[in-house]
Amino acid sequence: MSERVLIEGSEAMARAAVAAGCRFFAGYPMTPFTELLEHMAGLLPEVDGVCMNAESELEAVGMAWGAATTGHLAATGSTGQGLSLMQESLSEITNARLPLVVFNMARGQGDYFQATRGGGHGDYRHIVLAPMDVPEAVELTQLAFDMAGQWRTPVMVLGDYYLAHTYQAVSVPSFDTAAPEVPNWALDGSTGGSGAAKIVSPLGGGVEGEEGFDLGAHYAACAAHIQAMATGVEPLIDAGFCEDAELVVAAYGSVGKFVRYACLRLRDAGHRVGYIRPITLWPFPSEAVHKAASGSAKAAVYEQNMGQMVDDVRLATMGTVPVEFIGGPSWDHSGFGIGPDINVPDISERILETMP
Amino acid sequence: MSDDRLFLSTDKPPAEPASLVDDFTPGLITQANHHLCPGCGEPIAIRAAMEAAEELALAERTVAVFGIGCYTAFAHNLDVEVVQALHGRAPSVATGIKRMLPEGFVVTFQGDGDMVNEGLQEVLHAAARGENITCLLLNNGVFGETGGQMTTTTTLGQRTKTSIEGRNPHQHGHPILLSDLTATMDGAAYVARCAVNNAGNVARTKRYITRAYESQMAGAGFSLVEILTMCPTGWFVDTLEGPEYLQNTLAPVHNIGELKTP
Amino acid sequence: MNSPLAGERELMLTGIGGQGVQLAAQVIAQGAIADGKEVLVFGSYGGMMRGGNTDSTVVISDQPIEAPPVLSATWSAILMHHQYWAPLRVLISDGGLVLVNTSVFEDQLDRDRYRVVEVPATDVATDLGNPLLAAMVMAGVYGRTSGLVSLDGLVEGMRRSVPPYRSQLIEANEAALAKGWEMAA
Ligand SMILES: Cc1ncc(C[n+]2csc(CCOP(=O)(O)OP(=O)(O)O)c2C)c(N)n1
Ligand code: SF4
Ligand SMILES: [Mg+2]
Repeated sequence: MSERVLIEGSEAMARAAVAAGCRFFAGYPMTPFTELLEHMAGLLPEVDGVCMNAESELEAVGMAWGAATTGHLAATGSTGQGLSLMQESLSEITNARLPLVVFNMARGQGDYFQATRGGGHGDYRHIVLAPMDVPEAVELTQLAFDMAGQWRTPVMVLGDYYLAHTYQAVSVPSFDTAAPEVPNWALDGSTGGSGAAKIVSPLGGGVEGEEGFDLGAHYAACAAHIQAMATGVEPLIDAGFCEDAELVVAAYGSVGKFVRYACLRLRDAGHRVGYIRPITLWPFPSEAVHKAASGSAKAAVYEQNMGQMVDDVRLATMGTVPVEFIGGPSWDHSGFGIGPDINVPDISERILETMP
Repeated sequence: MSDDRLFLSTDKPPAEPASLVDDFTPGLITQANHHLCPGCGEPIAIRAAMEAAEELALAERTVAVFGIGCYTAFAHNLDVEVVQALHGRAPSVATGIKRMLPEGFVVTFQGDGDMVNEGLQEVLHAAARGENITCLLLNNGVFGETGGQMTTTTTLGQRTKTSIEGRNPHQHGHPILLSDLTATMDGAAYVARCAVNNAGNVARTKRYITRAYESQMAGAGFSLVEILTMCPTGWFVDTLEGPEYLQNTLAPVHNIGELKTP
Repeated sequence: MNSPLAGERELMLTGIGGQGVQLAAQVIAQGAIADGKEVLVFGSYGGMMRGGNTDSTVVISDQPIEAPPVLSATWSAILMHHQYWAPLRVLISDGGLVLVNTSVFEDQLDRDRYRVVEVPATDVATDLGNPLLAAMVMAGVYGRTSGLVSLDGLVEGMRRSVPPYRSQLIEANEAALAKGWEMAA
């Protein structure tokens, strides 16, 4: 760990990524993802890494895919539209069992479903981590690379404009310039001519026409792997004051920080309100949400969208408490996801109106 | 698998004992039992590409990136390391690999539907960047795998399932001559077009591919070899008519020869 | 139970571009970090051109910051100019602390609601040789009156905040910080 510095979210995440071992990054500018790309372009050469200003998001994710096959930790990212373009690859990278970190610097919270439902074609999911502020983003970026390597799967870090542009004091881990360990499945060309050259494919391995080449078996193995992540990845959640709460409010990401703060203030003013903030959006911390909400008369969900995570909260609570959606889309003129309604008094008012 | 020509060329019993297909299989192709159609030109092109790699002793540093088309079947048939990419997206995947393995040798296998339709920007951007990779375009002028529809390289007048009366420029636009286009780009070091419809052209194909590989190994920049391949199935012609159809339909438009050398 | 919010202090700064508002926010924030505190800063996201609207929010605490980046109430404010201060006016908490640059500020203040500290920052800076030092004078006054940042912290914070191509200004900035600190005695 190095000294504590005042650092903008984008730069903090870039530094955390390089410190976590990221050696390849490719991206295409789009607010509020752009600064992350710029910082990666500045930082990666310091550790002999590569940053590509790709010609499009399609190519950015393709380049990251290629880099990932060499066993080096690779990352890419974008914002809404760019993520939509990348989905075809993200789905296939999942089936190719490659580690990859995807920084989704979203505009608002309208992309919750895209992030947590797989987003592209096929029956898959990604691990999704949603930090509420800069210190947490540094931690979760490290965790994202660890999980990507451990599970050999894409892991998404879901941020937004607020996160990208807030400065906070954090200890940024220093870079480890030692050559990273390359996993045994990685390609470097060297098994060519051996009679058993490696292959990295979303369609699985094996020699066509011979035993071991079976698309059905590969897809079954992919499904089993998703299932293993669903049960094996530890769900993370931040919750407070739920024990004696009459109302429990759920929210995630930067907006979750606003909601949490509103709840802290309401508690100070004597209102029996608690909060739950899922940190892993997939796997969703259903059990913890269920437990946190079960003692209260009512649950509410605040999101900067028309209501997406509310479905997961309803599935988690299984009808044991009424779940009310109290958020809504909120956009300022910039379209970057700054919400005029995303402020503590307005949120507090909605919470108070919902109190049983 | 059988080769009709063996039976047509003679009516006498064979003078030598039968030899297995495996005997002719180049070292870097693991088995000859591919699922491509009889008379398909793609296995010939892939064979030339693998023989060239073997002769230049590139096997132990090669990563081949496959697009999506009939040739994809070979992704599981090679004794070099392979990355299976998406339809059209092999050049960017190859870019990521090459940037992380600068000493490696990286080659893509793509069809015309893959490279010139779905992924046109990828190959052009890689060329403009001077990306030090080799892209091989197996151009048969149709989407073979999906059953013979028109691609951007289909020539005027050529009949496909989606240009039934022949490609008509007013309705279907004009073909893209990818190698000619790429040869104009500063980042491209070596660009050549060849075909596999007769023995002379097959030899030329291997020669051009070899030059492209050498140019990559010399660090010269982007290289592209476009190989015109037969697709009797997608062209709806007899197996034996494939080579001649190629000569009369594709070759007059997509001209054979080296377009750019380092 | 002690509220986790008890130790948090907010500061909002407003002015017009070119007055050094963002630099002052950085210096105070960096100074607080140098003093070992937790800090959050959120700048305005509009075009921050010369002559345009510029504002910034700083939160300082001994504990991890609970406040979100956009605040609806502030314990303290630095008013460098009146032109764009209307939105901030209503956010200042009762009993708060307001530093006003009396050299240029021309508007009414709700003096019965909060404590006002008058600082002729631009005049003092001009006397020091450069009106652009006004924000540093203000930062010096703020550190002492708020009790949130030490003079050593401010100086260290300023050194961390001044870009290398402006390093010739470090001495003058330091003098301005010290002058502000002294004025707040
Ligand atoms: C995004 C996408 N669109 C469509 C397809 C379906 N598809 C598979 S192969 C193919 C045609 C391939 O044509 P080409 O690259 O020319 O190869 P050929 O089969 O002719 O060898 C298509 C359209 C796909 N796999 N992915
Ligand atoms: S359809 Fe055409 S390209 Fe595909 S295997 Fe058959 S002949 Fe070859
Ligand atoms: Mg084709």
